[in-house]
Amino acid sequence: MGQARGRALFFVPALALLAIFVVYPVINTVWLSFFTPEGEFALLKNYADVLSEPEMFDSRGFERGFPYGALIHNVIWIVLHLPLTVMLGLVFAVILRDVKGGAIVKSIVFLGMVTPMVVGGIILRFLFDGNVGIVPSVLALFGFTPRTLTAYPDTALFSLIAGSLWLWTPFSMVLYSAGLETIPDFVYEAAVIDGASPWRIFFNITVPLLRPVTGVVITMTFLWVLKIFDIVFVATMGGPGGASNVLALQMYMYAFRQFNPNAAAVVATFLMIVALVVSIPTFKAAGGEE
Amino acid sequence: MKRKIVALLILAIAICSLPGAAAEKKLTVISGWSGPEMDAFMPVLKAFEKETGIKVDYQIYRAEDLAVLLPAQFNAKTTPGDVIYMWSWFIAKHAQDGHVLDITGKINEADFIPGSLDPVKLNNKLWGGVYTGKVKPGFWYRKSFFEKHGLSVPATWDEFVELCGKLKKISGVKAPIASGNGVGWPLSDITEHFIATYAGPDVTHGLINKKIKWTDPVVKSVFTERLAPLLKAGYFSEPIEWTMALDLWWRGDYGLFFMGSWITGMVDNPDDLGVFSLPGCKGIVFAPDYAFVPAYTKYPAEARQLLAFLATRGQEVQVATGGHIATYRVPLSAYPPVDRGVASLLKGTVALPDLDDTIGGEWQAAFWDQLKLLWVSPGRVDEVVDNLQRKAD
Repeated sequence: MGQARGRALFFVPALALLAIFVVYPVINTVWLSFFTPEGEFALLKNYADVLSEPEMFDSRGFERGFPYGALIHNVIWIVLHLPLTVMLGLVFAVILRDVKGGAIVKSIVFLGMVTPMVVGGIILRFLFDGNVGIVPSVLALFGFTPRTLTAYPDTALFSLIAGSLWLWTPFSMVLYSAGLETIPDFVYEAAVIDGASPWRIFFNITVPLLRPVTGVVITMTFLWVLKIFDIVFVATMGGPGGASNVLALQMYMYAFRQFNPNAAAVVATFLMIVALVVSIPTFKAAGGEE
Repeated sequence: MKRKIVALLILAIAICSLPGAAAEKKLTVISGWSGPEMDAFMPVLKAFEKETGIKVDYQIYRAEDLAVLLPAQFNAKTTPGDVIYMWSWFIAKHAQDGHVLDITGKINEADFIPGSLDPVKLNNKLWGGVYTGKVKPGFWYRKSFFEKHGLSVPATWDEFVELCGKLKKISGVKAPIASGNGVGWPLSDITEHFIATYAGPDVTHGLINKKIKWTDPVVKSVFTERLAPLLKAGYFSEPIEWTMALDLWWRGDYGLFFMGSWITGMVDNPDDLGVFSLPGCKGIVFAPDYAFVPAYTKYPAEARQLLAFLATRGQEVQVATGGHIATYRVPLSAYPPVDRGVASLLKGTVALPDLDDTIGGEWQAAFWDQLKLLWVSPGRVDEVVDNLQRKAD
C-alpha cells in the first residue's frame, strides 16, 4: 500500500500540470461559451448566434459559389485532404521502400513536414502567385492564363488544400514507412511463390496489415485539418471574401478582432466536441486490439 | 570566517538590489517598422538617448500581431514594451479598460495639427501621442515612363479612364494600375481615395461615425460606377504583394501605383516620382501613427518622457529621413525636397483620417477581405457592399 502511494506521488506533478494547463482551460472555455460578453447566462443562444452567421455557414454559396462558410470549408478540406494524404503517404512509402536512393527522396518529401506552418504558408503564397509562382507557370504550359490562385474565390481554398498536402503527406509517409517495416518478409515471399501479382500483394497483404497505421494516420490528419489555422492565416487570411475561411481562423477573428471571447469559446467547444467524437472511437479501437 | 563571507555576500546582494544601484533603466519601444523604415526611425531613438541618457531598446511587432499579444499581456498586468505604436482605435479601447497611462499635459495640443490627437482623446484626457503621418495622395507614376510614352496627368475622370486605356495598350504593361496587397490595406487606401473624391469628405466622416450606411446610394455609386467598371475593364491588376508590386511597377510592368508618401523612401530615384490625385479630389487621407504608454510599464515617468519626445522633437528628426509628414510644428526646411511636394498636395483639400484604421476591429479585417473579393470579382459588387454594411451594424 505504501509502495503504491509512493508510486502515485510521481503522478502528482504531471496531474497538476494537466489540471492547470488542460483541464481548467477546457472547462473554462466550455463555461464561457454559455455566457454573453456581458456575463449573463445564455445557455445555447451563443451557439445559435454563431452557427447562424454567414461566416460559419453561408447557404448562398450553393447558388453563387465560394464562400460557403468556415464550417463547410473545413468539411471540404477534410473530404479532399484526408483521402489524398492517406493515399499519397502510402504510395510514397511503398514505392520508396526498396528503391535505390529512396531514403534521399523520402528526406526531400519530409522537408514539408519539418517546415514551420507559418513559413509553409508564406511559401504557398508565392507558389501560387501569378507573377512569380511555379504553379501558375506550370499551368500556363497547358494553356491556362497565369493568375494568383490564392486571390480568387473559386481557387483559393483548393490551392491551400493542395499546399497542405505538401506539408502533411510526409507525416503519413513516415508512419506508413515504419508500418511497412513491421510486415515480415516471409509474408511477401509466400505470396510471390503463390504467384500473386504486385497489385494483389498490395491490396491483399500490404493494405490490410497496415490498417492500424491507417487508423492513426486518419485520426491525426483529421485532427490536424480540423484545427488548421497557420497556413490559412498567412497565405490568404481566409479570403478573398471569406472564400478560404476555416473554423480556427473564425475563432481567432471572434477572439482578437471582435474581442468576443464567448463567441470564440463556442467555436472552440464545437471543435473540441468534433475532435472527441472522432478520436475516442479510435482510441477505443486501439485499446481493443491491445 | 564562513559566516562573515556569507554576511558580506548577502550585503552585496542587498546593495545591488537597491533601486539606485540596479542596472540602468532601459525603455522598450515597439512598432511595426522594419527594414528601411526601421533604419529611418533609429536616429530618433538615438537622439532621445543622447538627450536624456536613457537607453532605448527597439522591437518589431506588426500591429496585427500586437492586437493578439497585448490584450493577453494587459490582462496579466504586464507589457512587452514601454512605448508602443498601435492603431488609434486600439489605444482608445484599452484606455477605457484602464490599460493605458494618461499623458495629459505632457505635450501641448496646440502644437499639433488640429484634430490629429482626437482619436486618442477620451473623457477630456489624452491617452496617446501622435507621431508623423503618411499622406495617401493618389497614384504614383514614373516621370520618365510618362515622358517615354507621351502620357500626361489627367484633369478629369474621362481623362483618367482614357489614360488607363492608353496604358493598357502599351506593350509590356500587364495592367494600367498595380494593386498592392498586404493583409489588405493597400486596396482599402485606393477605395478610401475613391470615396473621398466621388462621395466627398463628409461621407468619409459619416461612414466612420456610422451616420452613413455603406448601402447608401452615394457610397454604393462609388463602388458600382467608379471602381467596378475600372476593375471589369482590367485596369487594375489582381492583388499583388505590395512590395513586389512596387518593384514590378518601378520596372514598367504597370503604369500607376497607389501608395502612401513613404514610397519616396523606397525607390531608387525619388526625383523620377510623380503623383496625382483622382481628378476632383476633395479630401486626402493623412494617416498619422499613434503611440501609447501601457499602464504596466516599470518606468512610467521615463516612458511618458520618451513618448513626449517622440511626439515633438522626434518628429523633426524623423521627417528629415524622408517619407514622413509631421503632425507637430516642424519647419519646412527639415523636409527633403520630394516630401515638400507631397505636403503641398494637401493644400486645398481636407485632411481625412484613415477610414479603416479609425474604425478598426473586425470591420477592418472584413473591409480588407471584401475588397480582395471585389478586386477579382467586380460583378459581386452588390454583395460586397451589403457585407460591409452587415459588418458595420
